[in-house]
Amino acid sequence: MAPYTNIPLSPAELSYLHTSLSQQPPLRPDGRSPTQFRPLIAETDILPSANGSARICFADGTEAIVGVKAEVEKSRLAHTVPSNGEAAGQGVLGLGKGSARDVGDEMDVEGDESGGKGRDAWLEVAIEIPGMRDDDALPVFLSAMLTEALLADGGLKDRLWINSRFHWRLYIDILLHSQALSYPLPLLSLTTHLALLSTRLPALVSEKDEDPLFNDDWEASTYLYPPTTTTQHQKPPVTLLVMSVGATILFDPSKQELAVADSVLAISAAQSSTGELRMVALRTIDPPSRLTAAGVPNVLNTTTGATGAQTLSAADVLAMREKDQGQSVWRPPRGGVPRALVAKMIKMVVERGGVGEEVMEGLANVET
Amino acid sequence: MPLDTSTYALAHLRLDGRRWNELRHLHAQISTQASSDGSSYLEQGNTKILCTVSGPQEQRRNAPGGRQQQAGAGSDTEAQIVVEMNLAAFSSTDRKKRARSDKRVQEMQFTIAEAFRGTLFTNLYPHSTITITLHVLSQDGSLLTACLNAATLALVDAGIPMSDYVSAVTVASAPSSDQSLDEVDPLLDLNGLEEQELPFMTVGTTAAGTGEGVEGEAKIMVLVMETKVQMGRLEAMLSVGVDGCRRVRGLLDDVVRTQGRRVMENKIS
Repeated sequence: MAPYTNIPLSPAELSYLHTSLSQQPPLRPDGRSPTQFRPLIAETDILPSANGSARICFADGTEAIVGVKAEVEKSRLAHTVPSNGEAAGQGVLGLGKGSARDVGDEMDVEGDESGGKGRDAWLEVAIEIPGMRDDDALPVFLSAMLTEALLADGGLKDRLWINSRFHWRLYIDILLHSQALSYPLPLLSLTTHLALLSTRLPALVSEKDEDPLFNDDWEASTYLYPPTTTTQHQKPPVTLLVMSVGATILFDPSKQELAVADSVLAISAAQSSTGELRMVALRTIDPPSRLTAAGVPNVLNTTTGATGAQTLSAADVLAMREKDQGQSVWRPPRGGVPRALVAKMIKMVVERGGVGEEVMEGLANVET
Repeated sequence: MPLDTSTYALAHLRLDGRRWNELRHLHAQISTQASSDGSSYLEQGNTKILCTVSGPQEQRRNAPGGRQQQAGAGSDTEAQIVVEMNLAAFSSTDRKKRARSDKRVQEMQFTIAEAFRGTLFTNLYPHSTITITLHVLSQDGSLLTACLNAATLALVDAGIPMSDYVSAVTVASAPSSDQSLDEVDPLLDLNGLEEQELPFMTVGTTAAGTGEGVEGEAKIMVLVMETKVQMGRLEAMLSVGVDGCRRVRGLLDDVVRTQGRRVMENKIS
């Protein structure tokens, strides 16, 4: 998708930013370390009529509110052929139920009936951005990315299974309260994660396959993601924005830093039952730096009276720019990212004590 | 309150334990979003509204969706007021995604814009638009009321000159077994259940007076009634409503003054 194009930075400023960020260690404009996040405000359980809710405000003023609601729905019988060609257990996105087997021993003990029975259609994510229509590119793209991350590990849809005739339909409604000043994906993902952590479903009282009956007492409700004290618990996925400048990797990039990025990745990580983080989705994002204007070398700059534009041929001009390779004059980055760098980025998110774990721990400590 | 009228007549207590003239818990904050010109967050019971105001700013060209000019006569003499109301899908008990062209929402937007056109000094900002965006996070009765109160606070935060606050409240007529009785308690500030069962109206007033604060004569800016009630009960309902508005205005004023005090302390210290 095309990112924002109005970057009001001159080629000299872009070059300066690029050089500062390429240093080892990098000099970020606000003095943060490469893995340091900006301060944010988070609160959960703010909506009395929703099963789960959360609100996160980032330091740059963007704010998102997420409400999770669940409704009981009748399941389509397993032996009928679905009209949309969805094979049982494979899901709409074809991600398969293989990953559902990674769900911990607790789920298997509850009975094989609940393993791999979830359907992708049971989850619906809707994003509301004031000022944009529902079918604009940005809301559709963001909701597709968030849905993909939530469904990828298979655990969420399996928790929505009640019995063979009924299931929960989960609606996640996201309200991006302020204008999208910067790429809003990490904000929405963190808020969704927090809302899912606080989501509770009424306790089931009926047995087996009879019509579901629930306990009226809300105190008896169960968490969708139970916060157990043992290490074997699963958490919803989280999507982080990671960017690279030369050999430097930066987390939580600000708008200025994104303007000079060589590459930008959205990495979604989920926590499996063993407590380890696994990457469940990775998306490359067009860095906005590709849309910046290149600087003009002094030799070619007619405003300073240089005559290079007339005397040099087109081939010479091209050779000059290529030899320079953006060292002295800003040039929008070309080419892709080295594979080793992508691997390093993923590792930094997923490793023990890495950024992903830090973010999840931080969110888990948010008191209601 | 269910149509079973005996419960009210017994102890004169409503379902949530309030008496006829008690308001729900009103909690409001002003200046909640730094990135907008004016913002506020208001809770009346379980009805929660987030409001942001942007403007007065240059005239926006109409969105391709075709939003008609609302409440803005002659834009070369005064500012146009545009109200956008957005009911979140998780706001009511059932999850319901609302269409943009919901008539009920459009009517409420128009009512709110008209109410503020009477109090804001729009003649100071010709060729501009003041946009009020209301996000309804949770609704449990008195939706129009809470929207008006939240919008008042946000407009004060945005620093748009106005003659007075617009404060609103809902009033209903208590059920009674004897339909001919005129001496029936009007109920103040309804929640969702009561709104569904009882005939009610929304009253919004200013307290524009001789400059002696709330002692002046109140002017009614908003009066909306969609249900039927006996004529004899109307006057009592209206007077209770106007008094309720005065109390709400006091609460809103407290919120503004608290914020002002905080701002002054930050500057002086």
